[in-house]
Amino acid sequence: MPPAEPVLTARDVARRFGHRRVLAGVSLDLRPGDALLLVGPNGAGKTTLLRILAGLLRASGGGIERHGQVGMVAHASMLYDALTARENLEFFARLHGGASRGRVEPLLERMGLAARADERVGAFSRGMTQRLAIARALLADPDILLLDEPLTGLDDASSEQVLAVLGELRTRGRALMIASHQLAELMGVVTAVGFLTRGELRGVEPIAGRDVAAITTRYREVTGRA
Amino acid sequence: MRDALRTAWAIAGKDLAIEWRTKTALVSSLTFAVLVLAVLYFARDPTAVGAVDIAPGALWVTFTFAAMIGLNRAFLLERENRAMDGILLAPVSPQAVFFGKLAANLVFVGTVELVSLPLFIMFYDLPIVRGLPALLGVTAMATIAFVAVGTLLSSMVVRTRFAELMLPLLLLPFLVPPVVAAVQATARILADRPLSEVQGWLKLLAAFDIVFVTVSTFLFEATLEE
Repeated sequence: MPPAEPVLTARDVARRFGHRRVLAGVSLDLRPGDALLLVGPNGAGKTTLLRILAGLLRASGGGIERHGQVGMVAHASMLYDALTARENLEFFARLHGGASRGRVEPLLERMGLAARADERVGAFSRGMTQRLAIARALLADPDILLLDEPLTGLDDASSEQVLAVLGELRTRGRALMIASHQLAELMGVVTAVGFLTRGELRGVEPIAGRDVAAITTRYREVTGRA
Repeated sequence: MRDALRTAWAIAGKDLAIEWRTKTALVSSLTFAVLVLAVLYFARDPTAVGAVDIAPGALWVTFTFAAMIGLNRAFLLERENRAMDGILLAPVSPQAVFFGKLAANLVFVGTVELVSLPLFIMFYDLPIVRGLPALLGVTAMATIAFVAVGTLLSSMVVRTRFAELMLPLLLLPFLVPPVVAAVQATARILADRPLSEVQGWLKLLAAFDIVFVTVSTFLFEATLEE
């Protein structure tokens, strides 16, 4: 069976901030069911790439094609501390329109937040905020989900909950792209790994049949890091 | 058009709900307005300067600077947790976002004005009953003009390091034309001059409203780009 058509295509994407080159010639395809882990040292351009792919930042060069709705979970939660969890989701659901409003309660339930739905987000722990941020990103049932360090600061229970949701999304044919340093935790979810260093994507390789040690060794070869 | 209205309504409702809950800007603006009105009143020598002579300037200084406190707050809400990114990930037009923010700011500034106006009439002991509708009209027209440009500039400066300092610096030059027109119209209304003497200033304010709202609406998108 031929591979499905990509839902996200990037070709020669470049980005400069003033004279500083942050991304250069990044090309990749993301197909339904793909879960690409983007690894690279701090400052490699991972966040910038995700923001460009999400449409939040304009590329200085190259092109991007998106065939479907994009959701994003970033470092910042994109939520309002003064509103409750339910009010936050209802607000963003109103912006998305369509069936999104009907997803508020199921998502609160799915992310284990139903019991705290009427509490203000400002009083939430990091784990709860992150789960709510994922719920926000899933309101429109996106075809492509971009996640920037989704497990940072989460305890084991919250991490497991987030990983279960990501695994389920991939199984349902959603395309995932995850920028993270937490390779071991994400091994069960991702299907490929991309090495980004100094703004250049130095290969996208399948994860099947490889363990954390093999990928870490490859990462060191590609990035030149000990 | 319906989608744009839905977006604007959702954003305005969200902003006002947050302000109502936190009352951060409202309490500051109202306190500031009362203090300025009182200080200017007691600084006046009633034997040398009549209330009607100083009142128009006092009113518009109070309104303008009290409004600025609220305008500063408008986009700080979106900067916390980068909530504006969440809005922009939804299929919404920048113009609809602008109108939502504008509507919320108009309600906020209108509330400050409606509370300050009776205090102003009481402090300066103004026999304003006959001219009250005209004064309300002038206030509404001048407010639309400076809140429109204030909303645009607030979005522009929010990512700068000294946003709260930058807004007055950038906004005040734009406020001079509508505020001068408002002061002139207010002076004539308080002096109980015929409405025909105010009409020219009202036309000028209407022109400012059209120009400021139109230009701000179209420039808003540029302020959202990094």
